[in-house]
Amino acid sequence: MRGPGRIARGLLTDAARPVGFRFDGRPMRGLAGDTLASALLANGKRLVARSFKYHRPRGIVTSGPEEPCALVDVIGNEGREPNRLATTLPLYEGLQAQSQNRWPSLELDARALTDLVARFLPAGFYYKTFMAPAWAWERLYEPLIRRAAGLGTLRPSPAHGAAPAQTVHDHVDVLVVGAGACGLAAARRLAASGMRVVLADQDAVLGGGTLLNDGATQWREAVCAELAGCAAVRSLLRTTVIGAYGHGVFAALEELAPAETAAHGGLRERLRVIRARRVVLATGALERLIAFPGNDLPGVMLAGAALGFLRRYGVAVGRRPAFFLNTDEAYEAVFALASAGIGCAGVIDVRASSLAADRARAQGIEVHGGAVVDAVSGGKRVRSIEIAGSDGRRWRIDADCLLMSGGYSPATALASQLGAQLRWQEAIAAFSADLDPAFGQVAGAARGIFGLAAAARDGEAAARAIAEALRPAVGAAGPAGVVGAVGAAGAGAVRAAVELPPDPEVTPIAPLWEVRGRGKAFVDLQNDVTAADVRLAVREGYTHVEHMKRYTTHGMATDQGRVGGVVGSAVLAEARGVPLAAVGMPKPRPFAQAVPFAALAGGEVGEHFKPKRRLALHDWHEQAGATFAAAGLWLRPLVYSRQSGWDPVLGEARAVRRSVGIADVSTLGKIDVQGADAARFLDFIYANTLSTLPIGRARYGIMLREDGMLLDDGTASRLAAEHFLVTTTTANGTAVFEHLEFHLQAVCPRFDVLLTDVADHWAQFAVAGPRSREVLGAVVAGIDLSAEAFPFMAAAGATIAGVAGRVFRISFSGELAYELAVPAQSALPVWRALLDAGRPFGIAAYGLDALNTLRIEKGHVTGAELNGNTNALDLGLQRMLKTSGDFVGRALSQRPGMSAPDRLQLVGVRPVDRTQPLRNGSQLVAASARRTSLGYVTSSTPSVGLEGWVGLALLAGGRRRTGERLIAASPIDDAHTEIEITSPHQFDPENVRVRA
Amino acid sequence: MHAELAGIRLEACSADIVEVSARCGRAADLAALAREMGSPLPAFGRAAIAGGRLALCVRPERWLLLEARAPAGTTAALWQAACAGYGVAVDLSSGLAALHLAGAAARAMLARTCRLDLDPCVFAQGVAAATIMAQVPATLASLPSGLLLLTPSTTARHLREWLAAAGKAFGLSSEPDLTLAELLGRDCR
Amino acid sequence: MLRIPCPWCGERDEIEFRYRGDARVARPAGDAGPAAFTAYVYERDNPCGWHLEWWLHTGGCRKLLWVLRHTVTHEIRKVGSSLERAVPSADVEP
Repeated sequence: MRGPGRIARGLLTDAARPVGFRFDGRPMRGLAGDTLASALLANGKRLVARSFKYHRPRGIVTSGPEEPCALVDVIGNEGREPNRLATTLPLYEGLQAQSQNRWPSLELDARALTDLVARFLPAGFYYKTFMAPAWAWERLYEPLIRRAAGLGTLRPSPAHGAAPAQTVHDHVDVLVVGAGACGLAAARRLAASGMRVVLADQDAVLGGGTLLNDGATQWREAVCAELAGCAAVRSLLRTTVIGAYGHGVFAALEELAPAETAAHGGLRERLRVIRARRVVLATGALERLIAFPGNDLPGVMLAGAALGFLRRYGVAVGRRPAFFLNTDEAYEAVFALASAGIGCAGVIDVRASSLAADRARAQGIEVHGGAVVDAVSGGKRVRSIEIAGSDGRRWRIDADCLLMSGGYSPATALASQLGAQLRWQEAIAAFSADLDPAFGQVAGAARGIFGLAAAARDGEAAARAIAEALRPAVGAAGPAGVVGAVGAAGAGAVRAAVELPPDPEVTPIAPLWEVRGRGKAFVDLQNDVTAADVRLAVREGYTHVEHMKRYTTHGMATDQGRVGGVVGSAVLAEARGVPLAAVGMPKPRPFAQAVPFAALAGGEVGEHFKPKRRLALHDWHEQAGATFAAAGLWLRPLVYSRQSGWDPVLGEARAVRRSVGIADVSTLGKIDVQGADAARFLDFIYANTLSTLPIGRARYGIMLREDGMLLDDGTASRLAAEHFLVTTTTANGTAVFEHLEFHLQAVCPRFDVLLTDVADHWAQFAVAGPRSREVLGAVVAGIDLSAEAFPFMAAAGATIAGVAGRVFRISFSGELAYELAVPAQSALPVWRALLDAGRPFGIAAYGLDALNTLRIEKGHVTGAELNGNTNALDLGLQRMLKTSGDFVGRALSQRPGMSAPDRLQLVGVRPVDRTQPLRNGSQLVAASARRTSLGYVTSSTPSVGLEGWVGLALLAGGRRRTGERLIAASPIDDAHTEIEITSPHQFDPENVRVRA
Repeated sequence: MHAELAGIRLEACSADIVEVSARCGRAADLAALAREMGSPLPAFGRAAIAGGRLALCVRPERWLLLEARAPAGTTAALWQAACAGYGVAVDLSSGLAALHLAGAAARAMLARTCRLDLDPCVFAQGVAAATIMAQVPATLASLPSGLLLLTPSTTARHLREWLAAAGKAFGLSSEPDLTLAELLGRDCR
Repeated sequence: MLRIPCPWCGERDEIEFRYRGDARVARPAGDAGPAAFTAYVYERDNPCGWHLEWWLHTGGCRKLLWVLRHTVTHEIRKVGSSLERAVPSADVEP
């Protein structure tokens, strides 16, 4: 016997285009159009993998994406990629595939010994055995198990970053999933009704089951030609709908053909997010296995797979096949292989008699009616099978492959994801699901209507129902005046040109799930789950199908139990003594098949992982040598130096303390608040009073969350009676704007207030230091900057270097300082004018680090202290809380616990030994060896105004502890620094400089 | 290389941008005023060109007006003074960046990140909408010249880079900046 | 992923919206006392069924919407704006 090989022309293969590839290093040849699986079979290769747990030899079982066994590693430019399905992987020149899960080789796998001790490795074995001692799990058991189990090996090659995947957003009236007879008929009908349609199929060609039946060729070609000429229908090939998410949202994975990948610079897949008003689930039915001893031996395959390999690729899976089946539908493979000239070893039909068996016998094929296969012989491939008759008689026949078919289960995963309940259909011995018509229709074999002609009729009926349901809306205006869909142009009668041949009359299925005998009968080939494991689960109390699944791993991993899922449920039902309908199936969730993470990430990787917010002066900062820090989405200049260390930072900070510095603070959030109720609204939003703020003045303000904790701080300036400008911290700009919008619309909907986010419009610069007034004097026109006319917290419109802008006398540094705002487009000339004006005073641009140094020694708080767990009292801001009138957070800020004396309170810290540094995050502990943390350092910096380092800390009952000495412990640095507790305001506590 | 190479032109458009918002209950007064000023305000979800201005409405009772460049703040100040009592005008000339996409494949490229239905029958000429693209806010309008995209200025470079990367497969070319007048005068139908 | 039918913008992806919590709890009067505010801030039902919730359409019209959503099926039955229409009462039934 010669084993598998190519015997004919395939529908998809091109005999004129040979393709070279390697499997486990061995060079082989296939044809363009082959999958790796068909090419391996064409090369006579049966053994392609070792099993997950027992390392048993495994062959190809199916011809499609439901394949449980034929998983391979693909070695390419992008490294080593595991778990590719040989049955769907298109063959290309130079493809290098390796079998998985074997050592040292596929033929001789040392770990196959595990199979011999399998009696001791039942389901749940790991949970029970590798328990103690506790240390051994991480160091001994897990590494051992990991090496022995698992599927392929992922080894990406960093040198060859794969081209990012793409995401594509689609909108259609109807998504048709599956392009078999049913889906094609549905799409054609929907197109004729003027619908926008996407027809998605996981296969590389349209046709589904019609590809396996010569009688359907003419019809298929006619319909495909019609659809190709219809602009409203897009056919997406190699596109698997992997998730149905409700609200008409579907995710589909489109894998590009090798030629397309080459044309798109290595792009391999697109994730399509399809929004459809209705769906037609024409996903067909999947042939299922029968659990009998030896049903995993290479050469035991699904009957439909043998038919698929023959028709699609011209490949015979064996030269002397035996069949084990229980439906008339499965005889299609019997007849096809026979007419291809392959001698049949015999058909074992569970049923005593059937119409198909009669037809087979008429062709001279031997049919063993009323019999089952209960053993398969052969080491690494099928050599003979043993048959048990219903009368107890046993006999053996020689065969080189056994093609099984235990019936067909409608593919219900997507319907189930949409919440459809499974319904048991006795006539086909399978579960099916019906969709809520608001979502769409299940049609054809997907709802148990077998036969091409019947499925096509059902698809057409489903399409008609959907067209009817959508008709009133098609062409109608949507809520925003947006047309809901294309008009009914193109609507017309469906041409009734070619018809499908009538379906043959069939004898119904005789359900058979398991044949008991000696040896392992698998219900899940991918996870090595046997029928006995399912029974063990029941004995252990895992009787619910979901529990059984998790105890045994039945139905998990890449194939999602599509071949044996219902068989496991049936064994469970029998063990529990209840009907299968009462057991059901585990609920499927997205994804319906393995999906590369790259596809989910789409284009949002690398540089585009998240947006970058850039300052208007970004390029200037860059040219000035800035090191940038990512702060949220912002890129902020940290220090104008590429060298590390504190020297450049302290140089910038010293310029501010001694003379003048300039910082780009445009990252602050800015909100324009206007309206008759603007002041009233801000009184409600801020914990302090804003309505008393005079025009032309700014005020420091704090906002609370409704739970009484601090949300943010900043300044509010009154530009006119009904016009305020609110600033927020950089980090909270978006959150504060949404906080205001929410409260305006939910709590104060009648207020006459208009909020506008103007953060991006205004560039804002802090000019700080004793000489700042002189710098401004040279640049600002239209206001008197003298201390009397423009005092601390003054705000006014002004002309700045010829540009209409605003000047605020506010200070974060603790120095005499101003903030100047100009439209961002004028940022550069204004910034340059300020630098020019400051040159006589040695003006220095200072970055975020120096800004921090200045504010820490001044005791101003920022995100590290406004951390969501602090309240106004904690930070010493309690005097700001207004005592009358409602505001957000008022009620709960008065809870007794908010003023508990042992709460963490803001303090200043300084090392007692002035040469010692401080570290952010250091825990404050009592000077003794006590380990109890009393608080922690939130911010620290070397000081420019004082000697040594200064810091801010949150310390339990901190304000009472001023003058105490504690230890700042940083275990990760193994550092213990004695510190003294001070006021947070360490530099210029009397605020002399800021009011200069 | 393939059918997608139909070509897309990406240009930045320089314009003053003012957001005019109606005060509580004064939308009708504001609309009347705008008509007097030669800029009828479009309905929600629409874009309209009149008197050398482009007006979009993607937020209820708020309009984005694009006008020819003038010295900083003057356009907004004019509107603020004109609509006092009925509404407020806030200058966003520096807050938003305007990008313009033209070419047959522009919609197909935007479908890589835009979650709106961009079918020309749906997102037809005169339609405007606010949405998110490449993780940042974007306001899209279908004009005779092509697609106008308004996006916050601080993330405009990010979006431009994203479009340039996605546009490679579509033959996208970055062209010199346009003025508003050039843009409104163009008709690519 | 939810598709939320915004009364202005039409049906939009969930990513354009920011969830803002239970819309059935109304903020008490300022002087209602700590118990009322504790209930407002912390006490939430976790209904298996219809739920009224706030969604701020930050990626679109920026309107605050109340959305009546089924927590099991995710069906959205009614949507309205805080400004245009009254929020349905607490014991919502579609």
